[in-house]
This record gives sequence, structure tokens and C-alpha cells, in this order.
Amino acid sequence: MRTTFANTLTQLMDEHPEIICVTADMGFSVFEGLQETYPKRFLNTGVTEQSSVGLAAGLALSGHKVFFYAQAAFATMRCFEQVRLDVGYNNIDVKIIGTAAGFSLNQLGASHFAIEDVGLMRMIPNMTVFTPGDPAEVAWATHKAYEINGPAYIRLMKSGTPIVHNGKINVKIGEMIPMTQGKGTCILVSGSLLPQAVELTEKLTGEGLRVALFSVPTIKPLNSKALIKEISGIPSVITIEEHSVIGGLGSAVAEIIAEAGVKTKLLRLGIQDQFTSITGSQEYLLDYNGLSPKKLYQSIKKFLR
Amino acid sequence: MTKQGSVDALIIEAKEIRQKVLSMIVSAHASHIASSYSAVDLLVYLYEKILNIDPHKPLSLDRDRFILSKGWGISALYTILARKGFFPAKLLDTYCKDGSELIGIATRNHVPGVEATTGSMGHGLPIGVGMAIAAKLQKRTFRVFVLIGDGECDEGSTWEAALLASHHELDNLTVIIDNNKWQGWRSIHDTLKLEPLADKWRAFNWAVAQINGHNFSEMEKTFSQLPLTPGKPNLIIASTVKGKGVSVLEDKNEWHYKTPTITEIAIAETELKIL
Repeated sequence: MRTTFANTLTQLMDEHPEIICVTADMGFSVFEGLQETYPKRFLNTGVTEQSSVGLAAGLALSGHKVFFYAQAAFATMRCFEQVRLDVGYNNIDVKIIGTAAGFSLNQLGASHFAIEDVGLMRMIPNMTVFTPGDPAEVAWATHKAYEINGPAYIRLMKSGTPIVHNGKINVKIGEMIPMTQGKGTCILVSGSLLPQAVELTEKLTGEGLRVALFSVPTIKPLNSKALIKEISGIPSVITIEEHSVIGGLGSAVAEIIAEAGVKTKLLRLGIQDQFTSITGSQEYLLDYNGLSPKKLYQSIKKFLR
Repeated sequence: MTKQGSVDALIIEAKEIRQKVLSMIVSAHASHIASSYSAVDLLVYLYEKILNIDPHKPLSLDRDRFILSKGWGISALYTILARKGFFPAKLLDTYCKDGSELIGIATRNHVPGVEATTGSMGHGLPIGVGMAIAAKLQKRTFRVFVLIGDGECDEGSTWEAALLASHHELDNLTVIIDNNKWQGWRSIHDTLKLEPLADKWRAFNWAVAQINGHNFSEMEKTFSQLPLTPGKPNLIIASTVKGKGVSVLEDKNEWHYKTPTITEIAIAETELKIL
């Protein structure tokens, strides 16, 4: 995902001289090429997330479009107030790029896990929130973020995320991407667990269940009319995300369902309201939180029983 | 106009602004009168003598940028902006009242001339650093001025930005500290000592000058020398009196919060009379 982001950003910078990339000392083995090509339009501001966001706002207030890149935990939480006020309130062209979100930095513990970032960014007025699930969605989100004349957050995972979509994504901001059709259960997935959700859907479909799968690359705005249309008459809706069940996709969908009075059962699969106080591989941590393919399958089977 | 005549005009303007601020704050039963008064003279000097701005082109790409990082002093800035013609003066009477866009902390996107939303402490300087970098990147000659409260030197983001400004050799950036020696509850000395303040900034590789923030001649002498040292960002520590201009408000921190009552208003009106 990071490499796709860096390549897409480089292309955009080739075409649009107003873009500046600011990073708070992140980008080792990702941004070297960009730095070499654009030494003046690439600013490494050191480990100063709060001031870096303010600085990015100052650049944006002077006519630039700024992509600010840092680890998701620090791009959103360390400088939340600067993102909210300097970027959100002023409603200016700063894109916050949170890399290594979720449990990407699996060995580093709670300080480096970003499982609240989407919820925080969603709460800021004017902020568009992208949660791409594969490199194609990353390229799509980066282009869309550029097109918006205002704040955006893009949630990235680490490198090596598998490709799910063949070819370019062609949806509008806020639209879901239909992956599998089916009229019995609707699965909505955002971000890193997209490949697992695809496998899971194949497995459930193989068992004779009728499952619709949608990838949700924009959490905000989320086209509620389209979502309601897709789930009306569907008895079971499931959300899957590598994020707290509070504030992310599960929350967004629950809010829409509740307000629209759609009669359906909802299962939110994500990280429950707890810190993950252990270390291990990302797969281990996902399993610990009930988000491995096996545990997702078990939870869904139990829910549909 | 003679030099003394010019200074006299500034003194009169500062008095008129203090009068207007008093009426706005009393009328809205608002706070922060002392914070505005401590900065009025600096603001008058900047807007009359230094800033290259045009109220008819408030977003001109080549304008100088002024950021009131101590955004709670905004009643003084609104008054100056209205006098300069950025917006109609009658709008001032809505200050802090129901539905008004003249919010009690500096807030962008409402009236022209307010460059950034600030007042949450430690936000103005980082934004100013970004603007000063933009000027260099765009090869423009505009300058960036940021007025911060001394209490804002408690914030980590201020010192992060101090590092960034000297690293990028932003001699087109000038920070003025309104050094009235008070913060939220008690004096700076009793709460969180900043001295030796000038040495701290010098150690961060800034060029530092110290002036009396109510003395226009001293301002003239220092501001005319900018940049103080080519290649270094500029810091001007302006020694000020919180509540300056009205004896009963001076150097008493309660006027960070309280609205003057009839007694204080009468004293203020007398002392702010233009003779």
C-alpha cells in the first residue's frame, strides 16, 4: 500500500506543481525517489507531528495542496487538535496520510497500534475518510483525495498487501464497491481485511449461502441511500474492519441502519473495546481479536444460525 | 508628519482602539480585555507601519501575513481590521453576541483579514512557519508575523516550530512575544518559569531583540532592522503590561476573565480620553 501511495503521489506531483509532501520523519525505503526528484517539494519535518500539521496548514493557506504522511497512530492522535482545528475548521487542502494503521506494526504494542484513527477522523467536520483495502483502492483514494478541495484522511497499512481488484477502481467518493452478489447476507468490509472477506465470502457461498460482499473504501461520506437500498430486506448485515468497533465502519453502518429503521440484524466484527496488550505477528493479533479467517468464519456462522 | 507627530497619531489610534474594545467587551459581557490591551500598541504599530496589506485584496498572494496566535486578544484585532476597511465597523457591535461571526477567539473563514484559526495555544507559530516556507518556495517576498502570548511558550508545539523555523532559515518570519508575564491562573514566574527566555530562543538559533511593547519608538528601531540576522528567524520579545492603558486593569490577571463593571468603566473612559 505504501509503495502504491508513493508512486501515485509522485505521478500527481509530476502533473500538479502545487502539491507538497510533508513527512514527520517517516518514509524510509518509500520516499527516497520522491525526495530525489522533488527536493524542495518534499519536506521531512522531523518528529514534530503537531507542528508539521500546522506547517502543512500554513502551506495550504498559501496555495499548496499538502499530503502529510506519518504513522497512523501519530498522524491522527498525537496531533488530533491540529488536524481538527488547523485543517478541519479552516477547511483547507491538507491530506492526512496515516500509514501502518491497525496492527501493521505488530511487534510494537499499543503505542504503535492505530485502531481508533478512523473514528477520530470521522468526527471532524469537512474531513473525508478513505480506508482503502488493496493497492488499487489506495491509488483510487489518493487521486480522489487530490481532487477534493479540502481535508481528507487516507488510512494505509504496511507494504505487501495483496491485490484484490483487477484494474482501476471507478466509483465516486462515498460509493461502495460491489464484489459479490447475493440476497441472503450482506457483508461490508473496509480496509485491510478485504482479502480475508473475499475468501470468507467464497467459503460461505460454497456452502450454499447467498452472500453479497461490498468493499467500503470511503467511510465518510458514506452514501446512506445506496447502503439502505442494498440491505433493505436482507436479514443479516455484517461489518468487518481492523479497527475498533467504536467509531469505524461498524459504527457508521449501525447509525445508518438505526436511523433509517431498516429491520435487520447487525454483527460488527472489529476490535472490541479493549487494548491489545500483547505482541506477535499481525495474523496472531488479528486472531487474538477474533479477526482471523477462522474466527471471522466462526462468528459469522454463529450469527447466522 | 514629523516623527513625533507620527508617534502621537499612533498613541491616539491605540487609545481609540482601547475605547472601542472596552465598549465591545462590556456590551457582550465578554472576557479577555486585559489580553487585548496588552497587545493593542503592537497591533497598531504592525498594521500602520509594517504590514503590506490591502483591505480591498485581502487574499492577495503577495500580502504580508499576520497571525494572532494569542487569539483571545481578537477584540483589538477586529477593531483594527474594521478601521482599515476589511469589514464594516458596525459589525464590531455584534462581537460575541448571539449568532455573530465575530467569535471571541481568532477564527478564520468569517471576516477577511483573520489569517488563521488560533487561540488554542501553540497553533499560530507552526502555521506561520508553513507560510514562510511557502513564501520561499514560491519565491515571493511577503513576510510573516506571528504574535504569541508568553504563556504559549509552555506549549511543545511552539518549540517544535522554533526548531523548524531555524532549520529552514526563515528570516522572513518574525515572532513577537507579548510578554505580559501572566498566564491562565498565576504569573509565569510562579507557574512555569520561562526565563532566560531570550537565551532559550537564541539557543534555538533565532535572532532575538527585546523591546518595550508599548513604546512606538523602540518598535520602529527594531522592526526597521528586520531581518535581524540574515538566515535566521526573528524573535522580538516585547515587554508589556497586561491591561495596559487603564490603571485599574493593569497587571491584574482577573481581567483575563472579568468584564469591567460601572466603576471600572468610568475610570477607563476617563483615562482613555483623548486630550
